[in-house]
Amino acid sequence: MAPLSVPGPTGMRPAPPRPNPNRLRFALGTGGVAALSMLLTAIAVPPSAASPSSPAATPASQATVTQQRPIQYVQLAAGQAPPPGARVIDAKAPKPITIVTTVPAPAQQPVVVRTTQSGTVVP
Amino acid sequence: MIAADRQARATRAPRDTRPTPIVPVSVATAAMGGRLVVHLAAASEERRARHDAERVLSRIIRWADRLSRHLDTSELSALNADPRATVTVGPTLGAVLCAGLDAGQESVGLVDIALLDARLAAEGLADGPPAGTAPRDWSIARGPRRTAVVHRAPGVRFDLGGVAKGWLADRGLDLLSAWPSAVIDADGDLAVRCAPGQLWAVALDDPRTDGAALAVLHLAAPRDGQAVRWGVATSGTSVHRWRHGDLVHHHLIDPRTSAPAITDVVQATVVCGSALRSEALAKTAVIAGSVDGMALLERAGVQGAVILTERGETLALPQTLALLAA
Repeated sequence: MAPLSVPGPTGMRPAPPRPNPNRLRFALGTGGVAALSMLLTAIAVPPSAASPSSPAATPASQATVTQQRPIQYVQLAAGQAPPPGARVIDAKAPKPITIVTTVPAPAQQPVVVRTTQSGTVVP
Repeated sequence: MIAADRQARATRAPRDTRPTPIVPVSVATAAMGGRLVVHLAAASEERRARHDAERVLSRIIRWADRLSRHLDTSELSALNADPRATVTVGPTLGAVLCAGLDAGQESVGLVDIALLDARLAAEGLADGPPAGTAPRDWSIARGPRRTAVVHRAPGVRFDLGGVAKGWLADRGLDLLSAWPSAVIDADGDLAVRCAPGQLWAVALDDPRTDGAALAVLHLAAPRDGQAVRWGVATSGTSVHRWRHGDLVHHHLIDPRTSAPAITDVVQATVVCGSALRSEALAKTAVIAGSVDGMALLERAGVQGAVILTERGETLALPQTLALLAA
């Protein structure tokens, strides 16, 4: 005897199959990693001298402007000679100091302790 | 009632956090060719303060008597009179000789305690050694039972001078550890300790006018901090001077020439962590002159420096401004 089929509630349909979410998750994850990687690369790697194959390495005759940073100071190592015409500053020269030429007048107050040159008779 | 208290608290002036100037109990005596003074912030304990001050003064004088070149009975005089190249000395003299070596290093060689003969020549009491030829090679090593062994070239004799005074001031302050605020004045070289919330006003002597001050320093410890320790020392060319014919000599010998230093600095005062170091650096600034001296003091990291030049200028390192009394 065949089993009886029990009819469902009137008007109900079976739910349509939902798409597998793992594909979208995988796609979003991969894209995010790629974007983060590009961002980090842009931040961490400074602009470097152009590689031989890059357009910036083409000779100056091809209207490429090469900008050099002017060298203002060079610290000479022991035994090194300065370039011709360079002004040499002695590293042992005293640093410029701020000098106070006007010391405020001492406050009007009783002072008991006094520093003096040795042998000074304190009045 | 409670509401009234709250209102009173709300209208009360904010608590004064400025350090309180110290009015000390001071005990003084003559010693080391000058004065020796102990200042203590004693408040209501004056009797105990005087007792402790006198005890420390007598101890410092006993030490000083071993270190003086003016006393024939001192251990230093015995060392200077000893013809041997190797001599064993006691713990006190050994410690001060070691301090002299440290002062020499601190001062890039401008403080040299092995210049007695050049000093005597400046005073007109002996013929000075030819410039640059004075024998000054010496060293010191630890000996048995806290003694020390001095090795020296023939003819090396010592004048401890300000090194001894700075050392004595620092050691004297160590003996007063029971007093949070105390000063030892070893003939103008000061070892200073200040308790939190208190303040020592220290005048820098103006050598041009009796009783006048170039400036007044406020050495204060913050209320919420710990006790602070300083050294304040002054050196100069205007007190110890001797005339020989047309020439006027002073007592600060330049080791590079074995003669009184040719300098534009009349007086230098230095503030740093100890009296010994302050004294060595103040003397260095005088011998080196105002330009090189100020640069050297800046490199040494002192807390303050004021110099008076022969042109009448009073110059200070910038960090001194924080210490100057308003």
